[in-house]
Amino acid sequence: MTSAMNEPRPAGVLIGQGLDRLDGPLKVTGAAPYPSDFDLPGMAYASLVRSTIASGRISRIDRGPAEAAPGVLAVVTHENAPKLGRGPKTILGAAPPPPLRDDRILHHGQFVAVVVAETAEQAAEAARLVQPEYDAADPVLDLADPRAKVRDDPWHVDMRRGNLDAGLAAADVTFQATYTTPENTNNPLGLFATVAAWEGDTLTVHDSTQWPYNTRGALARSFGVPERGVRVLAPFVGGGFGSGLRAWPHVILAALAARIIERPVKLVLTRPQMFTAVGHRPNTVQNVRLGATRDGRLLAIEHTSDSPVAMEDDNLEPITLGTSTAYACPNLITRDRQIRLNVPCPGSMRAPGEAQGNFALESALDELSYDLGMDPVRLRLVNESTVHPQTGLPWSSRAMRECYLQGAERFGWSLRSPEPRSMRDGDWLVGYGMAGASFLHYQAKCQARASIDRDGTAYVRSAGTDIGTGTYTVMTQLAAETLGLRTDRVRLGLGDTDLPMAPQAGGSGLTGALGGAVHAACVRLVHDFLRLVRNDPESPLRGCDLEDITLHDGRIQRTDDPTRGETYAGILARHGLEELTADGDSSPPRGDMIALVGSMVTSRLGRFGRAAVRATRAVAPAGACGAKFVEVRVDPDLGLLRVTRIVSVIDGGRILNEKTARSQITGAVVGGIGMAMFEETITDAGTGRIANATFGDYLIAVNADIPEMDVHFVGEPDPANPIGTKGVGEIGLVGIAPAIANAVYHATGRRVRSLPITIDRLL
Amino acid sequence: MTGAAARPPRAAAPYEVDLALRVNGITRRLRVDTRVTLLDALRDVLGMTGTKKGCDQGACGACTVLLDGRRVVSCLVLAAACEGRDVTTIEGLAHDDGTPHPVQQAFIRHDGFQCGYCTPGQIMSAVSLLAEGRGGSDAEIREFMSGNLCRCGAYPNIVAAIREVAKAGDDDAGV
Repeated sequence: MTSAMNEPRPAGVLIGQGLDRLDGPLKVTGAAPYPSDFDLPGMAYASLVRSTIASGRISRIDRGPAEAAPGVLAVVTHENAPKLGRGPKTILGAAPPPPLRDDRILHHGQFVAVVVAETAEQAAEAARLVQPEYDAADPVLDLADPRAKVRDDPWHVDMRRGNLDAGLAAADVTFQATYTTPENTNNPLGLFATVAAWEGDTLTVHDSTQWPYNTRGALARSFGVPERGVRVLAPFVGGGFGSGLRAWPHVILAALAARIIERPVKLVLTRPQMFTAVGHRPNTVQNVRLGATRDGRLLAIEHTSDSPVAMEDDNLEPITLGTSTAYACPNLITRDRQIRLNVPCPGSMRAPGEAQGNFALESALDELSYDLGMDPVRLRLVNESTVHPQTGLPWSSRAMRECYLQGAERFGWSLRSPEPRSMRDGDWLVGYGMAGASFLHYQAKCQARASIDRDGTAYVRSAGTDIGTGTYTVMTQLAAETLGLRTDRVRLGLGDTDLPMAPQAGGSGLTGALGGAVHAACVRLVHDFLRLVRNDPESPLRGCDLEDITLHDGRIQRTDDPTRGETYAGILARHGLEELTADGDSSPPRGDMIALVGSMVTSRLGRFGRAAVRATRAVAPAGACGAKFVEVRVDPDLGLLRVTRIVSVIDGGRILNEKTARSQITGAVVGGIGMAMFEETITDAGTGRIANATFGDYLIAVNADIPEMDVHFVGEPDPANPIGTKGVGEIGLVGIAPAIANAVYHATGRRVRSLPITIDRLL
Repeated sequence: MTGAAARPPRAAAPYEVDLALRVNGITRRLRVDTRVTLLDALRDVLGMTGTKKGCDQGACGACTVLLDGRRVVSCLVLAAACEGRDVTTIEGLAHDDGTPHPVQQAFIRHDGFQCGYCTPGQIMSAVSLLAEGRGGSDAEIREFMSGNLCRCGAYPNIVAAIREVAKAGDDDAGV
C-alpha cells in the first residue's frame, strides 16, 4: 500500500493540500446548526439571575413575583433546587462547583436563580423580578490583598535547574523587570447555549462545548444518572477559544430546568453573562530576572508569576512553565502562585499561560538585547537549545532556527536600524520588533471508527468537535488519503457522544490525537478488507497483505500488477455484507510523560535526575514553535498605534491542510493583536463587578485593525505523532503581544511592560 | 429542529401584535410579543436560524440582515416595526436556481470564516458594501466591514473574498 502501511505517515496527494473547508457551504448559507439553533417541540426558555455582590450570603430570595409573572413555569433558587453532584475531575482540575448549592456568594455575577417561561421574553422579564437581598462581605479582589489565600506551586510544575544565584553572579549583564497582563475574556461570537431534553433518566443536550465527553460526564454526575443515558451534541460550535472546555454551571442549570418542568428547555447566555460564566484569561503579575555573558549567552533565568483563581474552583494555567524549556540556560527557576479571589473562575483562553508568560519573557529578552547592544534575533539564536533544556532529552523536531532566519529574511529585518526612535515615515515613528514562541506539546487518548458501505463510501466518526479549526476538513483529507478514496466519498461525523470517545478540542491537541485515531481506524479497515479476501479464490487480492497493495479511488489493487484488484464495494457485495467497520485509537507519545515527569525529577534531583531521565532514551515531543516579526507605526503626538505588517514563521510539524492551518495562525495573530492593544476586562475594585462586559466596552480587534499578514510554515513531520502534526491552534497567538511591545519600544523608546498598549500609555 | 415551520399562533396576549412582512420575497404573517426583535422573530418564530445572535446589543454585526435593501443589525429592530417591509436574510441570498451568491462562494474559496457563526452577518454586510460601491480598496473594505466582529480572526480572508468579488464586477453580486 502506497501510503499508510510501510511508512506510517500518510504522505499522498491529499495531505497538506489547501482544500476548501468542506463545511463551508453549510456555514455560508446559514444552514450549519449551532446549539442555539435547535428548537424542540414544547420547548420552554430559561433565563438566569446573577448576584450583585461578590462575597457574602443571600439573606432573602423571594420567588413569588417571578412565579406570578406571565408565562412563568418555574423559578429555581438554592432554596428549592435539588442537591446536585459535582462533575468528574479532568486534566484541568476539579469540575466547577454545582450551581445553587447554598446561600453563599463567591463572586459577582454568580448564578442565584434560573427562571423558566413559555417564551424567552417572558423568562427575561421574570428573571428581573428575582431580586435577592444579601448580607454582603468585603470581597477579596486584589492579588496583593493580604487576606487572600495563596497556593504555591499549584500544579507541581515549578522548575529549577543549576544554581540561579551562581548564574546571576557569573553574568556580565543582569536584568530584572516586572510585567503585568490584564484579564482577557474569550468572547467567542457564538453565545453559549444549551438545549436540554429529558425522557425519564435519559438526557439529550445540544451544547456549546469543546469537549462533549466531559460535558456528558458532568451532566451524568450532576443528576446521578448513567453516562450512557446522556447524549451531548455539538456538531457546530460558534467558537470557544478555551471557554468551552468545562461543563459550566449554566449547562447544568439548563438541564435542571428541563428536568423540573419535564419539557425541553433552551438557555442562551447573554453577552454580559459570557464575561462571568465561561472563564477568562487570568491577569498576571510577573517578575523576570536574567543574567547573560557579554556575548549574549544566558546564564540565569528566574521567572515568577502571581495569577488569580476562584475561591472554590480550579484552573490549570502555568504561566512560567514554558520559560523552563524556551532557551538553553544552565541556571533557572520558574515559579507560579495562584491567589484565591472573589472573581468568576478564570479558565483556558487561547494559549493559556503561554500567552502571558511569553509576553514577560520575550519582552525581557528584548530589553536585555538593548543592554547587551545585540540584535534581538541573534540573542535568541545564541540561546536556542538543540535539546529539551530541562531534561537534556533530544527534541522530537524543532525548526526554531529556521523560524528566526526565514522570518528575518521575509520581514526584511536587516533594514532595521538598531537605535530606538531612529526610523520614521512622515509623522509616524516606525518600529520593528520580534519574539520567539513555543507551545508545549499536548496529546490525549482518542478513539475513532471507520466504515465503508456497500456503495463504496466511507463514514468516519469520533466525538471530537470542530470549533472552527477545520477538523471536518483535515480529518476527511486524512481518511480519504488513507483509504484511497476521493474526499467526496468520505463522510465525517463529529460532535456527538454516541460516537467513539475523543478528547477536547483544546491545547492544540485534537488534530494529533484524532488524526492518529482516524488513521489507525482507516488502516485497520483496509486490513480487514484484505482479511476478508485472504482465502477468497474469486479475489485477485487473495493472499495479499498491506505491503502488497495500493489504493486507488475506492479500489484495492496489487502493487506488482495494478490491473489486478477490486473495489471495496465489490468485495462487500460478493461477501453479502452491507458494510465493514473498524476501530482505531491513539495515545500520547511515551516521551510526553517522560519529558514532563522528567522535568520535575531533574528539578528536584539535579544532574543525577537528569542522567536518570536521559537513560530512558526518550525523545521530548517539542510542540509547535515559531518566530513573529512585527512592524508598527506610532503617532507620537496622538499616541496612535498601528500594526502595519506581521510575519509569522511556524514549525507546526506536518500541515494537513495549508489553507485551514494558515487561517489558524492568522486568526490567532488577530487574537494576539487584541491582547496587545485592546483587550482588558475591568473589574470594579469596590464591588467585583465587571465594568465593561459588552462588545461596546470590551474592545476586540476589528477588520480595520488588521494588516496584511505573511504566514509561512517550516519544519518536518514530527515523529512524536503518528501523523506528524504538532497542532497549530495556539502557536499563532504566542509572541504577538511581546513582538508588538518590542516594536513599540523600537519606534518610540518607550517600554510598555503592562498590557494592553493603549493610547494613554504612549502619550 | 432547525428550519422548522412557523409555530401555530397562540391566543393574543396583551402584548402581542399581528403583522405581515416579506422575508426573502415571501410574505409571512405572524403574531409576536411586541418586545420581540426582528432577530428573534426570524429565529424563534419563523424558524430561520441562519441569522445569528452574537450580542443582542447591536455591537457585533452577527445578526445583520437587509431591511428594505439596507443593512441593519436585526437585534436592534423590533419586529413590530417591520409591518409591510422587505427583509433579506442569508437564506435568501442564493440565486433562484440554488447557486450560491458570488460573495458566498468567495468566502469559501478564501476561507473567510472558521467557526462560521459571524459568517451570515459578514456576508450580508459584504453584499451591502458592494451594492453601496464601497469595495474600491482594501482600506475601504476593512473600514466598512468593521461593524462585523469575527473572533476567529478571519479578517484578512474576508477582505480577500470581498476584494475578489469587487474586482470581478460581477453582475450577480447584487441581491
